Amino acid sequence: MSAVTCELCPRSCVIPEGGSGDCRIRVNLDGKLRATTYGRPSAIHIDPMEKKPLYHFHPGASVFSIATAGCNLHCLNCQNWQLSQRGGEEMEQVYRADPPDLVKAAKQEGCKAIAYTYSDPIVFYEYVYDSGELAHREGMANVFVTAGYINRKPLRHLCGVLDAANVDIKAFDDGFYRRVNGATLQPVLDGLVTMREEGVWIEVTNLLIPTLNDDLAMIRAMVRWIRDELGEGTPLHFSRFHPEYRMRNLPPTPARTLDRARKEAMDAGLKFVYVGNVMGHEGGSTYCPTDGTLLIGRAGFWITENNLTADGRCPTCNEKIPGVWQ
Amino acid sequence: MIGQIRHLRPRDLRFLGLVAVTGLTISLYLDTGLRLAGQEGSGWRAIDLDSLTQKIESGELREREAEWYHTATEEETKGLGGTP
Repeated sequence: MSAVTCELCPRSCVIPEGGSGDCRIRVNLDGKLRATTYGRPSAIHIDPMEKKPLYHFHPGASVFSIATAGCNLHCLNCQNWQLSQRGGEEMEQVYRADPPDLVKAAKQEGCKAIAYTYSDPIVFYEYVYDSGELAHREGMANVFVTAGYINRKPLRHLCGVLDAANVDIKAFDDGFYRRVNGATLQPVLDGLVTMREEGVWIEVTNLLIPTLNDDLAMIRAMVRWIRDELGEGTPLHFSRFHPEYRMRNLPPTPARTLDRARKEAMDAGLKFVYVGNVMGHEGGSTYCPTDGTLLIGRAGFWITENNLTADGRCPTCNEKIPGVWQ
Repeated sequence: MIGQIRHLRPRDLRFLGLVAVTGLTISLYLDTGLRLAGQEGSGWRAIDLDSLTQKIESGELREREAEWYHTATEEETKGLGGTP
């Protein structure tokens, strides 16, 4: 028996021949680890950048978004479990899109970026890397939407092709990660610091689940960590939970919980704090942290007005707003 | 108790039989799951290898060699339980 040890994520799966890693798609065939969904996405959509969500990175741009089966987390509230909690051989729908085909299609559709998203793109790492290199050659950006549960060395290498990332902090509590996501917190924080060091534009999402991770003390601790380690200009998105998958016993997050979390984060010094998954909420728009001017108005994923100057400044006070605007 | 059993009617016996068959089916289903879970360890999963092989042969999936792995050391394979 020639087993292999996967070094990609902190699970360090030891996989015997014929078995897969915990992610279901990295398989040991003949003593070699195979990426079975390389070039074989099961989801392809064109989304607005705001859907990732990335609010400070090419606002309004179309993003060619792809995902393959598999994931290295097993969140009880997963919204894409039909995709993420299955192996490639279990999927009804598989597209053939090797990196050159993918980049060509994205370009033909007029997309400014490719997003590796929906499931966790960490598990189709090689596909992301090769597509990312080609996309850069064609002048397109690469966007990574992830839970960030990856080892530092492969992440640092991957950062060479990444331009922006939205990283989930599921909760600022290791016990929550173990119970709800089947993972641990520290590697996610390490990953965020690595991305910051490598110059990837980072936005953070925190999905607030009633009674499980909506405690203000926990939110305060997370916000302080983001402020101190990633910077006060790091956008933070508090997102509304909807009952899904194996967590249908809890109600959607009340709007007042999201409001309280947003206020807490802004009081702690974060300058750009958003509320997501709530249509028409004022917390979905970008305001100047100095004089409160509305910079980018949003309704859901759609931009209703954009008052930023071409070089990303407030038109009233000329303050430079952190982000990648052009 | 014995008196009650004597008074069971055929209809009752059929019902008890149905309950027993249902219980047996559930037990077998759970046992299969537990056996599979028992085979898995060290983070790996048993998969439908025949289906995977067929899909690789048809081009629907790939066998592109992954990065970031090494042949497991003897120490690492100690944790492996069973084979797929």
